[in-house]
Amino acid sequence: MANTIAIKRRIGSVKNTRQITKAMELVAASRMRKAQEAAQRSRAYSQIARELLTSLSNITEVSEHSLFKKRTIKARLLVVITSDRGMAGAYNSNALRAYLAELKADKSAGVKSYTIAIGQKAAQLVSRLPQTEVVGVYKHLPEDLQVHDLQPLIREAAKMFTDETVDKVDVIYTHFYSSINQQPNVLHLLPAGFAETEISAQLNLAEFEPSVEHVLGSAAKKLIDCQLWQAMLESVASEQSMRMMAMKSATDNATDLVDDLTLAFNNIRQASITQELAEITGGAEALND
Amino acid sequence: MKLELITLSGPKLQEDVYEVILPTGDGEIAVYQHHMPLVTTVVPGVITVRRKKEDSDAARDVFATNGGIAEIGGSQIRLLVDEADHADEIVEQEAAEALAAAKKLKEEAKDELELERAEALIDRQAVRLKVAELRRHGRRPRV
Repeated sequence: MANTIAIKRRIGSVKNTRQITKAMELVAASRMRKAQEAAQRSRAYSQIARELLTSLSNITEVSEHSLFKKRTIKARLLVVITSDRGMAGAYNSNALRAYLAELKADKSAGVKSYTIAIGQKAAQLVSRLPQTEVVGVYKHLPEDLQVHDLQPLIREAAKMFTDETVDKVDVIYTHFYSSINQQPNVLHLLPAGFAETEISAQLNLAEFEPSVEHVLGSAAKKLIDCQLWQAMLESVASEQSMRMMAMKSATDNATDLVDDLTLAFNNIRQASITQELAEITGGAEALND
Repeated sequence: MKLELITLSGPKLQEDVYEVILPTGDGEIAVYQHHMPLVTTVVPGVITVRRKKEDSDAARDVFATNGGIAEIGGSQIRLLVDEADHADEIVEQEAAEALAAAKKLKEEAKDELELERAEALIDRQAVRLKVAELRRHGRRPRV
């Protein structure tokens, strides 16, 4: 009977775990919905902001602006976005693997790397890395993140770029393609409008009011803010979605385990009953003889 | 003229309109079809949209915005603003309370960053309140 007691305990503990993973799954699902909506809502804005930045960057007057100026890349700032907590499947390890690949690329190209880490998981990793200089760590960002929560980070990044400490700022985040597909991605933040695209003829002729500097000074900053903000939203949606999937498979696994254990338990119980019966009938037979 | 009004919380308006009045860094401008190509900053204020030429002033749509950027070219105008609240969505009392809270935040601000944020919040709520008040009076909003 000792064996059945052990199995019974095991079943109990697996059931407890299942309850927890189930609850985490539900929490992640509701947070994912919210995060997903937020990410999708602002996608139109950031898409157009990106287009605008790109076409602006092709205008000669603009390309000399401090936030748009393309320089030879001698140093690069990497902003890596991860979560504070684990249990989100491959979310953090995917993002960090992409980050390490970028670091490696920098090293082989002889580019100096600086890092800003967002999230506990990235913070833990970068503190152990000798090949990069950590300029900032942002942990425990509030649950209902607002655009202004990222201000200090953006300021730091923009300052490093304008005083030419770094020649490029890239963000490593996880893009939310769908609730079953999320991929780490590299976003070029600065110089603004990094991608080469056709310049729209319209913009080329456009007047800037009050002046190019003024428009760029206020608007470009906003558009850049928005890029980072979008990356952050995408990451949060990915995180919650991956956590939900991880917790769902954990719950499924626990259910399978409980089934297997219950079967084993019943087997042993039945075996012991059969054995007992055999012993009783055996004993009775012996008395009859 | 095609107007696209896009905010951080999604596109608000995407349709053909007759006239758009928007607050820019250099003052209020009205944009019609075939306006010259222009990129300008939008400052916190009131955006007014007239859909059809024959629409009366009272029939215009009024949005409170906290600023952004406008890209105007030929037959389209793209407004990229962080927020644009339609007059009908703003509750006057809520806006007034939010303005008071923002003012308090400014008094309590400890560093430059907080102060900036509070000031932006005051601008935004003041505009919202203005739009809400004007709707109540049934007048055309002027800022």
